[in-house]
Amino acid sequence: MLGKGGKRKFDEHEDGLEGKVVSPTDGPSKVSYTLQRQTIFNISLMKLYNHRPLTEPSLQKTVLINNMLRRIQEELKQEGSLRPMFVTASQPADPLSDNFREAQPAFSHLASPPLLPADFVSTMPLESCLTPASLLEDDTFCTSPTVQHDGPTKPPPPALQAVKDSFSSALDEIEELCPAPTSAEAVAAETAAGDSKAHPSESNIHKAEGLPESRTAESKLMDSLPGNFEITASTGFLTDLTLDDILFADIDTSMYDFDPCTSATGAASKMAPVSADELLKTLAPYSSQPVTPNQPFKMDLTELDHIMEVLVGS
Amino acid sequence: FAGAGGGNDIQWCFSQVKGAVDDDVAEADIISTVEFNHSGELLATGDKGGRVVIFQQEQENKTQSHSRGEYNVYSTFQSHEPEFDYLKSLEIEEKINKIRWLPQKNAAQFLLSTNDKTIKLWKISERDKRPEGYNLKEEDGRYRDPTTVTTLRVPVFRPMDLMVEASPRRIFANAHTYHINSISINSDYETYLSADDLRINLWHLEITDRSFNIVDIKPANMEELTEVITAAEFHPNSCSTFVYSSSKGTIRLCDMRASALCDRHSKLFEEPEDPSNRSFFSEIISSISDVKFSHSGRYMMTRDYLSVKIWDLNMENRPVETYQVHEYLRSKLCSLYENDCIFDKFECCWNGLDRQVEFSLIVMTGSYNNFFRMFDRNSKRDVTLEASRENNKPRTVLKPRKVCGSGKRKKDEISVDSLDFNKKILHTAWHPKENIIAVATTNNLYIFQDKMN
Repeated sequence: MLGKGGKRKFDEHEDGLEGKVVSPTDGPSKVSYTLQRQTIFNISLMKLYNHRPLTEPSLQKTVLINNMLRRIQEELKQEGSLRPMFVTASQPADPLSDNFREAQPAFSHLASPPLLPADFVSTMPLESCLTPASLLEDDTFCTSPTVQHDGPTKPPPPALQAVKDSFSSALDEIEELCPAPTSAEAVAAETAAGDSKAHPSESNIHKAEGLPESRTAESKLMDSLPGNFEITASTGFLTDLTLDDILFADIDTSMYDFDPCTSATGAASKMAPVSADELLKTLAPYSSQPVTPNQPFKMDLTELDHIMEVLVGS
Repeated sequence: FAGAGGGNDIQWCFSQVKGAVDDDVAEADIISTVEFNHSGELLATGDKGGRVVIFQQEQENKTQSHSRGEYNVYSTFQSHEPEFDYLKSLEIEEKINKIRWLPQKNAAQFLLSTNDKTIKLWKISERDKRPEGYNLKEEDGRYRDPTTVTTLRVPVFRPMDLMVEASPRRIFANAHTYHINSISINSDYETYLSADDLRINLWHLEITDRSFNIVDIKPANMEELTEVITAAEFHPNSCSTFVYSSSKGTIRLCDMRASALCDRHSKLFEEPEDPSNRSFFSEIISSISDVKFSHSGRYMMTRDYLSVKIWDLNMENRPVETYQVHEYLRSKLCSLYENDCIFDKFECCWNGLDRQVEFSLIVMTGSYNNFFRMFDRNSKRDVTLEASRENNKPRTVLKPRKVCGSGKRKKDEISVDSLDFNKKILHTAWHPKENIIAVATTNNLYIFQDKMN
């Protein structure tokens, strides 16, 4: 926090965010609008899952943060729905992530990578991957939906790039923000890293959904409210996933099986240390719902549930 | 304007400060509410540790005409204890959220104090006499040997050192699922309301096992919850009218005569949003943290994160006045969101009764860096003052402070970047009859008076 009389220093990127009141219609600050939106989204998620478990969290605060997340989600959904769907050839996740590693090192300081289906989609076409500078200049996705005519050849907002290619550094950021990591966290982080390289948006969406179910305190307080994130599940993320088949038609779904051997992606091999069964066993106490191996989505939910929990140091 | 406070040129001087001196603040000592009683003779504070401390003003000393009586500790008691909710496996904080005094009816004083879940009615009474001369007991309470009793006498009351006792007379429990944020005593002095995030209940002061639900905004499906109740207050004169504010910046006025459950408001006060100020945080900063009726009941004041608004009860579509408390924070909202300061609940208060003629309205509210602000509707002037031990020379007029934006700052100005956001003044109170104010910093209570000429 701030000391009396001490000069308060802002992080550089914060300066950019704070310096102006960014609105969606600002021309040159569309990029910073997206940045700010992404940051606020991340901060909001962190807040919801980082409260003291001893006393009930403030309902007012939770509702306000929830509304914030919903609003951002709505905005992104609007932008996403106006963006034309593009079908891509089967893209192994590894080359994808390789490309994105090259892009946007400048944004690696962005924290926490929850991605949204719309964002994920926009990163699919390898051909349209551009250098950081062009991405910055050409970014027209961030703001109003009316700019969407530029279509799939437009590069995605820089924030996404950063997230995808620097997940580990993003994880580091999360850890910095949270209490000291435990050894379990390190394992979880590793599995999360390996896992999300291929499907960051999936994981994070599931993180968002899965978390509340393990937070008995929250769910007890708010009846079924978070399912605070039951809200997002029903209104946004999961719906998008299931409805927008095109988006994920070509994704290598073998990742969901959590079986390192069958995965076609190099990233998956990093999951080797923890087998699916072990994960299930560790997840069982954290999940209020039974987890069955033949339900990959559920397992995602609870696993990432668990991962997120250790990440935020609960 | 240098050296002058708001309205009628009130010049505020330091009078007293209560509380620990050291910077290391014990969590339990954090002041969570401040309230004068109806005469102003008593000043109560509640803290995070569940304690209530009541100060009493000394009777004015005729020889010391330059200052009003000082406030000294009158009574201290533990109002609430921490509890554990076994069903939810959560602690229930003992922090006192609000104190409200009842008007005095007899020698004793009564106040309501509440934490998140339970409201208690406390009786504070003085004892300055005690019976002496018992037949069977010695003065120290030991029983006398009956064989030594040879005569009978009637015990008499003799003076003793003043003892102030606080005893809980009523406990109003188990009526709130969510956290109580407000209590307000009705002008009938028989009933009162208590408001939590989603419901408002009406109680009778004599009846503890039952309360009536008068507002319920809980949706059938909690997933649809987007708005909560943030504050509620009874109208000072009309015993069937009350208002409640929400996290979306609206105030609803309800009439209990209309229906048993006041789900439909009689009036809805809401100011349309200024599109040029729209940001991600528009909703959060519009959330109302306090609502207070003026003493006449014609106006009400609301506090949101950046401003104080005065509403005329006859005009619903916009306030009659808006005062910017710390507009320089508008460009810092993202950081304030991150460090949770944006959720700080500042209170506000009107100036005292006698000075408040219809056209003279002064309001006070707190800010950061131990600053507090006063706005005078009449003179259109406002002032920023600081509650700090450095200014603690009695009868020295407080120097107005000024905050400047990041960038060039003039001498004596404070840059917004060097504000201490840990030093927040959330609770202030104004004596009902005189120009005496109580300002609570984190763990200290400052009392300021106007300079009497």
